[in-house]
Amino acid sequence: MLEAIDLSKSYNGSTALDSLNLKIEPGEIFCLLGANGAGKTTTINLFLNFIEPSSGTVRINGLDVTREPLATKKFLAYIPEQVNLYRNLTGVENLEYFTALAGGKYSRTELMGFLGEAGLPEGAAERRVGEYSKGMRQKVGIAIAIAKRAQALLLDEPTSGLDPKAANEFSELLLKMRDGGGAILMATHDLFRAKETGTRVGIMKRGCLMAVLNTDEIGHADLERIYLDHMHD
Amino acid sequence: MLAPILRNEWRLLRADRTLHLVAALLAILVAYGVYNGSAWVRFQSNALDSAAGEEAGRLAAMKTAIADVEAGRSNPPAFADPRSPSAAGRSLGTRWASMPPTPLAALAIGQSDLYPYYFRVSTQSRLSFAQNDEIEHPVHLLSGRFDLAFVVLFLYPLVILGLSYNMISAEKESGTLAVTLSQPIALRTLAFGKILTRFLLVALLGVALPAAGVLLSGADLSAEGAGMRLLLWIAVVVAYGAFWFAVAALVNAAGASSPANAIALAGLWLLFVVLTPAIVNGGAKLLHPVPSRVEMIQAMRDAGRQAAAQRSELLAAYLEDHPEFTVSRDGAMADFATIGIVTAQATERAMQPVLERFEKQLDAQQALVDRYRFLSPAILAQAALNDIAGTGVHRYRHFQQLADAFHERWRQYFIPRVMKREVLAPPDVDQFPAWTFEEESLAAVLSRTAASLAGLIVLSVLCFAGAAVALNRYRVAG
Amino acid sequence: MISIIARKEFLEMTRDGRFRWASVIVSVLLLAALLLGWQHQNDVRRQHEQARRHTRQDWLTQGRKNPHSAAHYGVYAFKPTMPLSWVDRGVDPWVGVASWLEAHHQNDFQYRQAQDSTAVQRFGELTGATVLQLLLPLVIVLLTFGAFSDERERGTLRQLLSLGLRRPDLALGKALGVAGALGFLIVPATLAGVLALALSEQNGALLADGGRILGMTSSYLLYFVAFLGVSLAVSAKAPSSRAALLTLLAFWIVNGLVAPRAAADLARLVYPAPSAFEFANKMDAAMKHGIHGDETPEQRAAALREEVLRRYNVSRLEDLPVDFGGIRLQAGEEHANTIFDHFYSDLWTTFRRQETVHRTLAAFAPVLAVRSLSMGFAGTDFTQHTHFAKAAEEYRREIQRLMNGDLAEHGKTVQGPYLQDEALWSKVPEFTYEAPDAGWVLSHQASSLVLLAAWAAAAAAAAWRAAATQRVD
Repeated sequence: MLEAIDLSKSYNGSTALDSLNLKIEPGEIFCLLGANGAGKTTTINLFLNFIEPSSGTVRINGLDVTREPLATKKFLAYIPEQVNLYRNLTGVENLEYFTALAGGKYSRTELMGFLGEAGLPEGAAERRVGEYSKGMRQKVGIAIAIAKRAQALLLDEPTSGLDPKAANEFSELLLKMRDGGGAILMATHDLFRAKETGTRVGIMKRGCLMAVLNTDEIGHADLERIYLDHMHD
Repeated sequence: MLAPILRNEWRLLRADRTLHLVAALLAILVAYGVYNGSAWVRFQSNALDSAAGEEAGRLAAMKTAIADVEAGRSNPPAFADPRSPSAAGRSLGTRWASMPPTPLAALAIGQSDLYPYYFRVSTQSRLSFAQNDEIEHPVHLLSGRFDLAFVVLFLYPLVILGLSYNMISAEKESGTLAVTLSQPIALRTLAFGKILTRFLLVALLGVALPAAGVLLSGADLSAEGAGMRLLLWIAVVVAYGAFWFAVAALVNAAGASSPANAIALAGLWLLFVVLTPAIVNGGAKLLHPVPSRVEMIQAMRDAGRQAAAQRSELLAAYLEDHPEFTVSRDGAMADFATIGIVTAQATERAMQPVLERFEKQLDAQQALVDRYRFLSPAILAQAALNDIAGTGVHRYRHFQQLADAFHERWRQYFIPRVMKREVLAPPDVDQFPAWTFEEESLAAVLSRTAASLAGLIVLSVLCFAGAAVALNRYRVAG
Repeated sequence: MISIIARKEFLEMTRDGRFRWASVIVSVLLLAALLLGWQHQNDVRRQHEQARRHTRQDWLTQGRKNPHSAAHYGVYAFKPTMPLSWVDRGVDPWVGVASWLEAHHQNDFQYRQAQDSTAVQRFGELTGATVLQLLLPLVIVLLTFGAFSDERERGTLRQLLSLGLRRPDLALGKALGVAGALGFLIVPATLAGVLALALSEQNGALLADGGRILGMTSSYLLYFVAFLGVSLAVSAKAPSSRAALLTLLAFWIVNGLVAPRAAADLARLVYPAPSAFEFANKMDAAMKHGIHGDETPEQRAAALREEVLRRYNVSRLEDLPVDFGGIRLQAGEEHANTIFDHFYSDLWTTFRRQETVHRTLAAFAPVLAVRSLSMGFAGTDFTQHTHFAKAAEEYRREIQRLMNGDLAEHGKTVQGPYLQDEALWSKVPEFTYEAPDAGWVLSHQASSLVLLAAWAAAAAAAAWRAAATQRVD
């Protein structure tokens, strides 16, 4: 579903991403680990076509992202660290707008249903997003993904800054999306959650994908050790 | 795809208090501007009515006075004889030449507070009567007037820039742009939707405001050409607004931060609305300086002296050219009135080249402004709005030409009668040439406005095209 | 401490591309405007000087004629150029350049320069005054809107205050830094101006106009202080740099563009002036029937006749030792003069009242105060125009007195038409006009100066207070 082939990106000679090869299938959660500046966000931006690759190909559902920037987004949902919504609009208004942009037409009850499915507390949907907590905004982001029936999710450190309960709820939602056949790419610093929710984890350093591990084959301690090993020069 | 964007933008704008504030403020400013314009038009109409009343009264009194003299009821000295065509043509029987305001005059005061809009045409030189300046504190002329045209030219762009200076940059800064663009939608479509919403809103204001203004000002829309003028006004306001949206789009597309956009747009506004006009004005004066009126006064004095010194030669030459006038003479010295007319004509002939130099330089200035008006949409819009309201320089020129023709007609009526020493009877008073103001042709207004309008549209299209190209390179992230 | 802050602000500003660009553009505009103004002033001065000589020559060499014909021929009074009009042309383009001083009529000044321009003139001219009143404040706004809000947003304010810095010191330091940077713009321009005056063709202009130069310079300095204070206060109080910028731009627009126009229209509304038609008509009626409309020309003629006969103790005009024509003409002049005085003083009172509206509004827009002061010290305001107009009218009346007096005294001594020549014409002194000095201007502009000083003081206090009480983040 999500595929990067020999993908590189450099800014003015400095390499942000170095021949990344990655393939994420439906029903899989791939967690990208790595220090700040390792190339995780660059990878996500490349999938979003927010930046152009220096070389290589990015594919979503078999379509080249640079050639079909709009068609590929039909399959996508994007949840950044901070899901930024229009503060002056209500949660349901925000959802309505973003799903409409994706070509979806839903009744009000259906929209409320998506928000409920994403776990937004009853009554919050009609309040302005300006009053929402961070976790509530993430849930609107999930609702957008659900409403859009997104087959691929791009998550950029979605749980950082969430309290443990909210983070846990978020992980539950991710697992549900995965079980529904979603292909999920998540950049994160949270080794624990990567191990818990991820199908595979990849460790990145200076634009290179150093290692890819299956989470069911290693324990927490192993993951941390391998990670730290890679971080040492 | 545009519909959800329009709906969302409208929701966002509606939820923002500043929009309400701005709309209310704009409405107040428009109402104030139209009120001021209407007050000025009322003032002008009153002055014209008084002048017409004065003329009717004076001519009626003249008829009675002539009848009195004829019946022997009064016996005035020669210089005060109401039957004298000389006195009638110089003062007693003169008529007011006037230019009434157009139905839309209240919308743009334009040059109407600077140029005389009525004066009394007599047999004397045009210079002696055409300077009928309206009374006004000169500081007010310096400041300019708060009319609807001022609101449109200066403040309307600011409203547009205020609504759109951060339309893309703010979304980028708040992060919603990334979420939006993770949907299958191109940035260009999004930007287009944003501009369209604001444009519709502002254009609605641009249409509703002048329409309301015209209604408020009590203009007569059934008058000839009124509807056409109103349509043209709306077209110019909408095109001028489109230009400012295009500029805002271009600046947003360049990708700087919101405060940087605000500064850049404020600078562009200053450049187009304040600096370019001032520089074009200064350039026109520098390149085509109008000769000094002080020197003209001197030339006029010199010409007058010369004519006075040669009055007998002039008279002889004149009578040689017009042998018909010698018939009724007894060969003695011509009277005061005849000499007056002959020397005045000689003076005017001598002054002709001097006055032509003024015309020539002013025409050159106007030509330069017309050429360089495309540098600033504000100049384009100002020229068009004044033209449409009938307060621009062209209608004044038209008025001057009509007045000149009338002046000529007036002289042709009176001078032969003075020369032949005719005596006026009461019915003659009704035969004096009468002034009518013939409105300048709408086609002329249309063709001049069309040029300005086309200029505005071309400038807008260029900016929009630039914005479209720049948006392709817009960096959403990284 | 303050000087350290000022130096840092100054350094930061001069290294900022914004400031460099703004200062280059504004300097070029200021210099161009002053240069054009200087050239224009010299042209006009030359023309008027020449015209003044010419009109005098015309008067002297008009040949043999009756004194009353000479009075009708008259002379022209040309508006003089004031020494500082190259900085601020004021109302000069909007009032006529010359008035014809002839018998029987007090003529208005005719031929406004603005009438010989295109409509683009109405956007405003590029003069020193425009740059100083409109553009420099904008530079101040652009330089200072982020003075506090930027530091707060970047978090440097937190750091500064953690060093134990007193907040008002910070405000003062910033103000001095900006002032220093602005000095780069203003001081050379001022020096160039003073130098130009010192080197000008009129000797002693610098000395004679020292007061005016000082007055104008101080007015502008107060104006800049006011703007600086407002900008700093807004920067300290505003929730963000963006809000500070928008607020200040709005203030700048209302001050520079909206207020002058609003003041003009409000003044007209509150104190309407008559139309030219109404004015002339009422004056004509008063000429015939007196100010109160209770007399006739015949009554006046009879009364004059009686009074003159009684004065010379004769019973018939033929027996008078003087020429009654001359006396009648002078009496007509004096009657007309009371009418002119009445109507023009009414009109000028209306105009002065309109100016009070401007001054009142200066409480909201300092540009109205500084504009008035600038025009005043430049000698190009309406008050000084009327000062000249009154002097010219006095001179006109003087000519009439001399001509009619001569006619009355000698008119009877000859048979046939009474003619005079240069001997009489040269008895009319040359018209000289003494422009009022800086003190006179100051006395007429006191309220504007007080208001502007109040603006500067209030703005400085507001900046001080806002800096002292501002949030850290």
